[in-house]
Amino acid sequence: MKHLSPVSLKVNGDAYELSIPAWRTLLEVLREDLSLTGTKRSCQEGQCGACTVLLDGRAIYSCLFLAVEAQGKEILTIEGLARSAGALDPIQKAFVETGAVQCGFCTPGLVLAAKSFLDENPFPSEEEVRRATVGHLCRCTGYFQIIEAVLAAARERAGKGAQL
Amino acid sequence: MGYLRRLPRFDYLAPRTVDEACSALAERRGDARLFAGGTDLVLQMKRREITPRAIIGLKGVASLSVIRSQAGGIAIGAMTTFGAIESSPLIREKHDFLCETAAGIGSPEIRAVATVGGNLSGALPCADFPAPLMTLGAIVRLRSVRGERALALEDFFMGFAETAAAPDEILTEIELPSRPGFSAGAYVKFHDRHAMDMTTTGVAAFVTWDRARGLIGDVRIALSVSGPVPLRVKNAEAALRGRRLTEEALVEAGLLACREAQPRASWRAREEFRRELIGVLTQRALRQAGEKARVAAERGNA
Ligand SMILES: Cc1cc2nc3c(=O)[nH]c(=O)nc-3n(C[C@H](O)[C@H](O)[C@H](O)COP(=O)(O)OP(=O)(O)OC[C@H]3O[C@@H](n4cnc5c(N)ncnc54)[C@H](O)[C@@H]3O)c2cc1C
Ligand code: FES
Ligand code: FES
Repeated sequence: MKHLSPVSLKVNGDAYELSIPAWRTLLEVLREDLSLTGTKRSCQEGQCGACTVLLDGRAIYSCLFLAVEAQGKEILTIEGLARSAGALDPIQKAFVETGAVQCGFCTPGLVLAAKSFLDENPFPSEEEVRRATVGHLCRCTGYFQIIEAVLAAARERAGKGAQL
Repeated sequence: MGYLRRLPRFDYLAPRTVDEACSALAERRGDARLFAGGTDLVLQMKRREITPRAIIGLKGVASLSVIRSQAGGIAIGAMTTFGAIESSPLIREKHDFLCETAAGIGSPEIRAVATVGGNLSGALPCADFPAPLMTLGAIVRLRSVRGERALALEDFFMGFAETAAAPDEILTEIELPSRPGFSAGAYVKFHDRHAMDMTTTGVAAFVTWDRARGLIGDVRIALSVSGPVPLRVKNAEAALRGRRLTEEALVEAGLLACREAQPRASWRAREEFRRELIGVLTQRALRQAGEKARVAAERGNA
């Protein structure tokens, strides 16, 4: 198997030493080799956003990204977002509380996209939230609750910041 | 359009320098592909439209993603992502419309990965960035083991997915000359949805104001996604030089632009519709760029 090459990935703070071919996407490796199935697979062509993960803090589509090219970067999937078991991230909490989750298939991608966006823009307008989430399809909620959830998470995070 | 499968097999090479990348490309003669962001390539390969034996990944060549000022102008590395262009203070200071054009591409997830070099080198008719860069008089730098050469971006596009770059050449940099005083650009596009949709037609205009006479000094107009290759419409440009920025002048330029264009037909738009769009968008782009250049001249802000 001359095509297998050693690949080191850092996912959610854990280091993995893998032996995989270069033609595998990050999405395939996360789901199939690491069993991190919170990252969803749908269109596989960069249209739906379900496969979104963070690479050094920036949202990318893992279906268009080669796993070998993610070496040396910090990968964050939805499994790694909540810092401890049972405690949700404020963005996850806001999604639950505003009814932004129905079937939940789009949720991991949207929550991670929202995290990347809010880390850069802590005080966004509604229009900015809309533009930040254009790369995500949701077939259930109708988007209003999702936009509201991101705005609510921004308020919650800002409030926390003020208390510190 | 074929259905999507997993990626086909390929050898993966990861050069760290432009020289290494050039050698790799020369050695694998013809059966290797440069791989930038991969946002076009991954899909073409999943659809088996192309099946290169080797992929030369450029993400590890750090020198290719630098944006720097140079002789009054700007040099943009081929591996610069649209996200980096969108947030570059240097580009915003000289050509804010390029930042806006970049911000209008795909989604944040696409812009974090998709590169300007891939947008130009892919030479796909649906690419937005060629036209705005063409109005700025952009020069592309090409490197191979044989040496380096520079070419006007206008002379770069040869046909569908075909450029003037030889198979062993890498696009390394896009150079923008220094911006003339009292000038401004605009890129206006039409698409069915507001986001995440391919452009049906896009028009870029760059206007330099003749402050002394209160007239249009110089003007460049280029079309993206309108024909088989991006195109400057020089009859329309000529008709505007030395004119006042009036509705009449804009309508005339729009008519000339759509006559000069060779609009393609696709499921997105019939030829007639694209032609009409080119006329309207040309007027809009000229109005935006022209007004901005005029206001800059009146306020004395070069
Ligand atoms: C969901 C989605 C939305 C999109 N929206 C837009 C949009 O709004 N506007 C738009 O214009 N495009 C859009 N695109 C298309 C694509 O993202 C862009 O064309 C992008 O700029 C391609 O760059 P890349 O780095 O991903 O290129 P790649 O896919 O890596 O490469 C493209 C081609 O260029 C060649 N190449 C790359 N770099 C070099 C180099 N340095 N020298 C020589 N050859 C090179 C490659 O060999 C390949 O043939 C979209 C794509 C997707 C999936
Ligand atoms: S699965 Fe990646 S964007 Fe749809
Ligand atoms: S909640 Fe079902 S797709 Fe969004």
